[in-house]
Amino acid sequence: MQVTLKILRFDPAKDKKPRWETYQVEAEPTDRVLDLLHKVKWYQDGSLAFRRSCGHGICGSDAMLINGKNRLACKTLVKDLGSVITVEPIRGLPVEKDLIVDMEPFFAAYRAVKPYLINDEPPPQRERLQSPEERARFDQGTKCILCASCTTSCPVFWVNGTYIGPAAIVQAHRFIFDSRDRGKRERFKALGSGSGVWRCRTAYNCTEACPREIPVTQLIEEVKRAILFDSF
Amino acid sequence: MDPLKEPVPVMPTAHYAMGGIPTTLWGQVIKDEKNTVVPGLYAAGEAACVSLHGANRLGTNSLGDLVVFGRRAGIHAARFARDADYHELTEEHLGESRERIERIKNSTGKEKVAALRAELQQSMMDNASVFRTGELLQKQVEILKELMDRYKRISIDDKGDAYNTELVEALELGYLLEVSEALVHSALNRTESRGAHAREDYPERDDENWLKHTLAYKVEDGKVAFRYKPVVLGRFEPKARTY
Amino acid sequence: MAIKSKRYQEARLEASTNLELYWWVFMRVSGVVLVFLLIGHMWMNAVLVDLNSIDYDYVAKRLSQTTWKVYDWLILALALLHGGNGLRYVLDDWVRDPAKRFWTKVVIYSLLAFLFFLGSLSLFNYDYGVN
Repeated sequence: MQVTLKILRFDPAKDKKPRWETYQVEAEPTDRVLDLLHKVKWYQDGSLAFRRSCGHGICGSDAMLINGKNRLACKTLVKDLGSVITVEPIRGLPVEKDLIVDMEPFFAAYRAVKPYLINDEPPPQRERLQSPEERARFDQGTKCILCASCTTSCPVFWVNGTYIGPAAIVQAHRFIFDSRDRGKRERFKALGSGSGVWRCRTAYNCTEACPREIPVTQLIEEVKRAILFDSF
Repeated sequence: MDPLKEPVPVMPTAHYAMGGIPTTLWGQVIKDEKNTVVPGLYAAGEAACVSLHGANRLGTNSLGDLVVFGRRAGIHAARFARDADYHELTEEHLGESRERIERIKNSTGKEKVAALRAELQQSMMDNASVFRTGELLQKQVEILKELMDRYKRISIDDKGDAYNTELVEALELGYLLEVSEALVHSALNRTESRGAHAREDYPERDDENWLKHTLAYKVEDGKVAFRYKPVVLGRFEPKARTY
Repeated sequence: MAIKSKRYQEARLEASTNLELYWWVFMRVSGVVLVFLLIGHMWMNAVLVDLNSIDYDYVAKRLSQTTWKVYDWLILALALLHGGNGLRYVLDDWVRDPAKRFWTKVVIYSLLAFLFFLGSLSLFNYDYGVN
């Protein structure tokens, strides 16, 4: 089938503002949007820039705004979109070139919640044991691939930009609810601040955008509750 | 899709590359059969070859490359960096890299990166896959020569400096060609079957002549020289993998 | 734009209060309390008595009692705080320009303070001619 691919492009050397470019691409209904982008880049216009790595939804590089929704280009099929497809960079982060955005603010928020195991207790003789139930408690957060689909679909993040964002909260959740971790107070400092979880207005955009089907909003609410019960 | 109505699309992918840049147990790159270290240069992961897999990497074992030897390389590199002095970057050092980039950017040749890469992939799949013969490998040697010649005439659309992913792909194609060359020449040279190297014209393992690592050195396009390094066997004897 | 703190040490400095938590709890508690206060208010003025019989004397008589003064003042205070904080959320979420956001807040907060002052004054500092 013939697909009309509209891409919002931006070349920092030439453009003042992003501009729409339209490409005609021959595609199979089972092609991914990533395949279309490759067809454009490899055979029509080599200057098109976008991030991608593994190509099957694990590395989290190719989140983009496809037909108005944040999705991974490698997990979105042409047959689910129709014959006119628009592709834009994810919103709320500065565009570097075409579909590539500056991810630094996103990762600054990620670092702020200390996304690693914190436990200063002397290590036991063998492993720190955990029951299947304790492991299941934070299972959903472990599915996160840091693609930024959630954070860049959040209206609070778009407007103000000082919000820590859903992805960082999901990462914090993964450790706060880990029975082996002792660092929740340190994380609460970043999460409880003016730019932390209390900015969340439960718009549910993040939950809808997540390509890994993490119930993001629910996890954010659980973190709010954890902070609440920790303080009172 | 409904597998009752239409076939499920399936395609093979290469999911691991055995061999690679030879390193010590600390990730330091070595350059010859005497384990001479290249100071300050480290390799880890799939790019490196600490040689912990034998001739056939088994499932999940590349985690060792990453978790164990990645960590060791990092520790050693940090130690090295603490005592090492900065080298002066002279035109002489920069020149070659700069020239590589400028040549591709300024080229007006007709060859395209994607088309050339597709040809490389297809021919390597056909002629230098797991099961190979001297005849096919010899054919691939010639194909690689031709592709390397055509690679000199590639040009790109993107002349910019910011996120020039097209330039990166063009540079990577050059490296792919060189790695392919090392692979094909070494496979042609090794007249036995071992692990994931299955020569249909030499189906038996030949420990007498070939129980050794191949070190491939590029002489010029299409010409590769070999040296050999003994295998450190330790506790395990090489054995056929049978089920 | 973007998160201000680039490193977690900076985030730590930025994040040393529980203020937002208290506001969050306040919004929930005051919301529930307001519902009951307002139901009581409406019950009193629209169900127990005929709306049309409410005149100056009725109101003045009621507001001469301390209990009712406190009751109405609670409604005033909670409603202004709850609504004002809600408005702050909205401004934080929707006014992009920091300078514009600051001045909008100055105006709104002044207005709220004025309303609170005026309301408190009329509740506590006036005897409504009833004695």
